[in-house]
Amino acid sequence: MTSQMAGPLSGLRVLELTGEHAQFCGKLMADLGADVIKIEPPGGQGTREVGPFLDDEAGPERSLYFWHYNTSKRGITLDITKPEGQEVFRKLAATAGLVLESFPAGYLPSLGLGYDSLSADNPGLIMCSVTPFGQDGPWRDYQTSDLLHLAAGGQMASSGYDVEDVPDAPPIAPGGGNAWHIASHYSYIAIMGALYHRDFTGEGQYIDVSVHEACSLTTEGAIAIYLSTGEVVRRHTGRHASADMSPGIQHATNDGGYINTTRSGSNLTPARVKILATWMDEYGLAQDLLEEKYQDPAVVEESGQHFADVLKNFFANMPLVEAYEGGQELNFPWGAVRTMGEIVGDPHLEDREFFVSVEHPELGREFTYPGPAAIYNASPWRISRRAPLIGEHNDEILGGELGFSKSDLEALKKLDAI
Amino acid sequence: MDFTWVRAGPWAARWLATLGAEVIKVEWPENMDMLRQNRFTVPPGVTPGPNSTGQFADTNAGKLGLSVNVRHPKGLEAIKSLISVSDVVIENFSSRIMSRWGLGYDELRKLRPDIVYVSMAGFGQTGRQHYFGTMGPAAQALSGLTHQSGLPGEPPAGWGWSYLDDTGGMYGAMCTLTALHHRNQTGQGQHVDLSQMITGITLTGTAFLDKTVNGRESRREGYPPGNRTVWPGAPVVNNYRGPIAAPHNAFRTLGGGYNDWCVIACLSDEEWTSLVGLMNGPAWAKDNKFATLNGRLQHQDEMDQEIEKWTLTMGKYDLADKCQAAGVRAMPVQSSQDRVEHDPQLRHRGMFTKVKHPMLGDWKFQGAPFRLDGSKVAVKGPPPMIGEHTTKIMGELLGVSRDDLLQGYEEGVFWPETTPRFDYVQQAIDEEAKR
Repeated sequence: MTSQMAGPLSGLRVLELTGEHAQFCGKLMADLGADVIKIEPPGGQGTREVGPFLDDEAGPERSLYFWHYNTSKRGITLDITKPEGQEVFRKLAATAGLVLESFPAGYLPSLGLGYDSLSADNPGLIMCSVTPFGQDGPWRDYQTSDLLHLAAGGQMASSGYDVEDVPDAPPIAPGGGNAWHIASHYSYIAIMGALYHRDFTGEGQYIDVSVHEACSLTTEGAIAIYLSTGEVVRRHTGRHASADMSPGIQHATNDGGYINTTRSGSNLTPARVKILATWMDEYGLAQDLLEEKYQDPAVVEESGQHFADVLKNFFANMPLVEAYEGGQELNFPWGAVRTMGEIVGDPHLEDREFFVSVEHPELGREFTYPGPAAIYNASPWRISRRAPLIGEHNDEILGGELGFSKSDLEALKKLDAI
Repeated sequence: MDFTWVRAGPWAARWLATLGAEVIKVEWPENMDMLRQNRFTVPPGVTPGPNSTGQFADTNAGKLGLSVNVRHPKGLEAIKSLISVSDVVIENFSSRIMSRWGLGYDELRKLRPDIVYVSMAGFGQTGRQHYFGTMGPAAQALSGLTHQSGLPGEPPAGWGWSYLDDTGGMYGAMCTLTALHHRNQTGQGQHVDLSQMITGITLTGTAFLDKTVNGRESRREGYPPGNRTVWPGAPVVNNYRGPIAAPHNAFRTLGGGYNDWCVIACLSDEEWTSLVGLMNGPAWAKDNKFATLNGRLQHQDEMDQEIEKWTLTMGKYDLADKCQAAGVRAMPVQSSQDRVEHDPQLRHRGMFTKVKHPMLGDWKFQGAPFRLDGSKVAVKGPPPMIGEHTTKIMGELLGVSRDDLLQGYEEGVFWPETTPRFDYVQQAIDEEAKR
C-alpha cells in the first residue's frame, strides 16, 4: 500500500550542481520524492573518483561513495561554461523549484547564472548556495576539506581520548565525512523553511549556507559552557561535552567489545543504584553498591567515579551484548560500540524495514543500502533508483522533457556541451 | 506544541522557532527538563535555578513556556485544546509514552485531522527494541559512528560530545518541515517516527555499502586511521571521509596550549609542492619518496614529524593564513573560546547575537548558519522561564476565563501545589486576578 503513496517532496524539481559539499542534501530530498537532477560536467563529477569502489576496482561507475550520496537522482551532463550549455541550463532552471549549488562564491553570477537572472522568469525559484564560508567574509576564498572544517568548526577541539585510554593523543576528527553531513542538514532546514514560505506566498528566495557556521553550531554544549564559565571543553573518549574531568563511560567487555554508558554517574538515583546493584550482584560483581549508604542521594552524587570503577570491573567480566541488552532491559540507556558487521542484519532494523535492496540493472545485481532515519506514515521515503550513470538521463530530460531534437542533442554533444 | 526535553528534541523545536514558528514548550516543574538542572552552565554570580543555565538558554531560545500537569484531567484537556489549534506536535519521550497519556497520533488526529506529529525516540516507535533508550553518546556507539573515529589499535575514540543530540535535533526539524510542506501541498497531516540511533546509521552510508557490497568489515587493521586518510602500512582503501590524501593530519603549533593545533591536507601533488615551497624547500621534503601520493602515504610518519617541526614555529592562525595564501589547505583547530572570541569569519558573518535574558543578562545566542534573502537569521528571543507564558497562552490563545485559570492554579493544574511559585509566576497570577 505504502509503495503507491508519493513522497512528501514529490512535485519539487531540484537541479543539483554540487559534489561533496551538499550532494547528501540532494539525496535526502530525492529519497523523499523530489525530482533531483544531478548536473555533472561532461565526463562526470570528481566525487566519482572517491572510493571505496565496487570490488576495489576504481572507475567512475564503481564508487560506493558516489552510489550512496546520489540515490534516487537522475543525472545529466552539461558544460555550463559554454554558451550552449548555459542556454540548456536556463531552460532547465525555468522548470525547477530549487537550484542547489556549491560553486565558489560568485561563480554562477559570473556566468550570468546567478539567482537574480534565473529567478527573473521563475519568481518561485529557490536557490541554495552551500560554500565553505558563505558568500562573504575574510575566509570566503579559503580552500577546505572535511578535515579542515572539523578543525575550524570545533569538532576536533572536543574529540580525542581520555589520558587513561591514549596519553598524548591529538585532537581527532571523527570519521565519515560529517562536515558535509552537517552542512547538508542545515541546508535542508533552510530550504524547507523557504519552501514553507513559498507554499503561502509563491515567492522564492536565495539561501547562503556556510559549512563553517553549520559545523560551529554542532558541538553540543561547548559554546554554552564557554559563555557560562569561561572554560573550554576537554577532549575525552566518547561522551557528552564537558570542561570538567568527568569519569570515563566507555568500558571494555570480556569479548573484546566496548560499551558506552552515556555518563554513568549523572542520572543515578538511590533507587536506580539499587536496581543496578541487584543485577550486578547476580554475577557477584556488585562490590559495595548494595550498601545502605548508597541510598543517600548526596552519597550517590559524590560517587560518580566509584560507580564508573565498579561498572568497569563488571563489564570486564561480561560479554558485550549481554551487558548492553541487560542494561537496556533495566532501563539504562547504554549502547554497544558496533561495527558495520554488527549493524547489517540487526533484527530491530529488519523490523523497521531499514535494509533496502537496490537494483543495479547494468550490473545485473542488487545491493543492500541503508534505509531512512524516519518513517513517514503518509508519504514514504523510498530509494527510487540507484545513483545515475554519467549522462544517463540526457536523452530523457533534454530530449523528452525539454524538447531538444535528436539533431540538437547531437550538436551539443559535438560541442562537448553535454 | 513542543513536548521535548533534554537536547535533541528541544534543539529541533529551537530551529522551528528560529524560522519564525510560535513554539510552546510544555513543561512541568516536578519533572524538569534536565538542561534546566545543568549546574555546569550557570555563570558565576547568577542565582542557580531552572531559569539560569546557559545550555538550556541556547537550546530553547525563542520559545514560549507553558507549565501544565498532563496527568491532571484539566491539564490534559488544556493540552488537547491547544493541540486542536496547533500545526505541529513534537516529542522525544521513550516510545509510546505519549500514547499512554492519551496523546498518541490516533487520538490527536481526531482533534486536528491535519496535525503533523513528530516522534523522536531513540530506537523509534516500532521494532522489537523500540523501548530501548538512548542518549546521544550511546546512540553514536550503536550507529557505527563511534567506531569510525579514533586511532588504530586503540579503543574507539568516538565523539567527545553528543553529536546525535545536535544532529537528532536537526532531523527532528527536518522531518517537521518536510511533513509541513507535504501538508501544505496535500492538506494531509501525518505521524513521523524518527529514531536517533538510526539517524546515526544513515550517516555511515559509505562504510555500510563497503560492508554490504564488498564484504569489508570496519573492524580491521589500520582503521580508523585517526586524522589520516590511510594508516601507514594499511591497504590503500578509502576511509569514508573523502579523497585519499597525504599529508592529512593535525600538527602542533607555537604556544604549546591545549588547542594549539592546526590541520593540513594536501589533496594533490600540486598542493604538496606548494607546501614544500612554503616550508622553503627543506632537503628532507625533496626526497623522491615524497614525490607521489603513494610514497607520501607510505612515509607519513617521517613526513608528519618533519612538517610538525615547521608548524611549531608559528601560531595556528598565522600558519593557516600563510598556507591558504600559498594554495595549501590548512585551518586552525578552534576551541569554543576561539570561535566566540577570535574567529574573524564568524565575527564578520555575525554568528552570535546578544539578546537580553532575564537571569543571564545580555547573553550571546548562536544564530543560523544560513542567510535567507540576504538577511542574517538570529534567534527569535530568549528562552522561556518555566511556566512564564502560561496565563498568556491559556487566556489569550484559548480564551480560558479568569476564574477557571485561577482555579487551575489552586488545583495544581498550572503549577504544582507544593512547589514555591517564582515571583514572575505569582505576578502573572496576580495580574490575572485583577483582570
